[in-house]
Amino acid sequence: MKKNRTAWPFKTIPVDQAVGTAVAHDMTQVIPGKFKGPAFKKGHEITSGDLCRLMQMGKNNLYVLDLKTGQVHEDDAVMELAAALAGPGVTFSGTPSEGKLELRAAYSGLFKVNISALEDFNMLPDVMGASIHTHTAVKKHQSLAATRAIPLVILRSDLDRAVSLAKEHFPILSVTLFLPLKIRLIITGDEVYKGLIQDRFQAIVREKVTRLGGILEESVILPDNRDRITRQIQEFLEKDTDLIITTGGMSVDPDDVTKEAIEDSGFEQIHYSSAVLPGAMFLLGYQGRTTIMGLPACGLYHRTTIFDLILPRVMAGETPGARDLARLGHGGLCLNCNTCRFPACSFGKPG
Amino acid sequence: METFEVLLQESAEAHGHLCPGQVVGVRMAMEGCRRIGLDNPRERSQIKKLIVYVEMDRCAADAISQVTGARLGRRSLKFVDNGIMAATFVNLDTGKSVRIVSKESARTLAASKAPQIRDRHRQQLEAYKTMACEDLFHIQAVKVDVDACDMPGPTKFKAVCQKCGQVVRDKREVMKNNQILCRPCALGTYFTPVQEQEQDKRENEKEPHSMAV
Repeated sequence: MKKNRTAWPFKTIPVDQAVGTAVAHDMTQVIPGKFKGPAFKKGHEITSGDLCRLMQMGKNNLYVLDLKTGQVHEDDAVMELAAALAGPGVTFSGTPSEGKLELRAAYSGLFKVNISALEDFNMLPDVMGASIHTHTAVKKHQSLAATRAIPLVILRSDLDRAVSLAKEHFPILSVTLFLPLKIRLIITGDEVYKGLIQDRFQAIVREKVTRLGGILEESVILPDNRDRITRQIQEFLEKDTDLIITTGGMSVDPDDVTKEAIEDSGFEQIHYSSAVLPGAMFLLGYQGRTTIMGLPACGLYHRTTIFDLILPRVMAGETPGARDLARLGHGGLCLNCNTCRFPACSFGKPG
Repeated sequence: METFEVLLQESAEAHGHLCPGQVVGVRMAMEGCRRIGLDNPRERSQIKKLIVYVEMDRCAADAISQVTGARLGRRSLKFVDNGIMAATFVNLDTGKSVRIVSKESARTLAASKAPQIRDRHRQQLEAYKTMACEDLFHIQAVKVDVDACDMPGPTKFKAVCQKCGQVVRDKREVMKNNQILCRPCALGTYFTPVQEQEQDKRENEKEPHSMAV
């Protein structure tokens, strides 16, 4: 437990003597089920009309600010904390509310957190920072994190330590732009190739990649023929392709040959299997600047799979490896809720 | 605040001509400032309390800037490229803010307000001077949470582009492929650089025998 080592720099005065004095901190009012927020902002000059509301809020006494040397008010401190935590793509309001600042996305992209540095930051006295999970695909203006000094004042020396730790590990919080990747798709399966069933993978993949700014340049349907799939992958590798996606054929049936076909295509790195359900038989590989993803057929049935966890990282230019796929195990089980709330759930949130 | 007539004259002088946009802009600015409790925005005591967002770069934008004293270089004037005849006035002290949108219906209403004037331009100009605020504008109370990096005052945020070395102010840098970059390097430019050889050639053609002075 961290202990607030600072003496509070306030004088207490009864509410009925407070007319004409300035409120020393934002005062929160809670009306159950209706409102929670600052009823009086820091610096507000109390008028006789305010007394009734203050008493309704249960305030019989008020603080009058009396800062000692070496102490920083929470509103000033939080601006420094936010500025130190917020890397590229992370902005925050110029007006703290109740001593807190919300950090939000300046543009759409992949939110990244230096988790161990954030933990070290939170080990320091009288400061805190809380964020959403790292590697989340975020939209412009989306809330990412919040920070504050633990009220109502902080020692300048403690504040400086927190700021210098954040600067040392800069950026603790950042948003990386998605790249407009050129994507080519190979849909495999005799049943689709022969027209026995209609393909649904193309629409699913197109929707997911275009949402993140990717460009689906080409899409082909092939039978479960190892050589033909290999030749197609090699042809795509020779074109200007950032990401090749294959669908189906990743399991163990005799007709499932896509995994072998990818292996035949000559990739420098191939990682098969991930610690995620749905999506255990996922393949991720790299050849030069091209990434390949082999999607198992579960992507047709489940709304959210391993594809949704890895795609944003690849779209941000990352090259996740075997360790990243293994780390996903903790939080890698989708609960198949009736109403899917992903990404606002535990799926794909390791750590 | 000065009277409408004085402000309109000042505004027309600063902008270069008198037009319906000037009238709309002056009235918009006067109404906006009044509603957020800044009766004299150009005075020293109030000038740092105001931020104005203009949603078009046309005549009215200059009028609004002139009346309010809000300036791009002071970071008190923000341009939001919406192509809408609208502006939002923010009192940084109290948080009180209003967005005022010019009504398109005022254009047709101008004909009935000043039927004696034939010329459409003059007709609008005169009619907008006297038209009721509710006929001229749609006014809405709004909340604007101004980012710390958009606030007036000394530069607080600086980054260096890891590709070209350019210093980027006010958190306009972006993260791309694990690098902190300026927007031109990350997102492309609005200009096309002219090749040096091409430039030299053109300059030589202009002044083939220029002499040093």
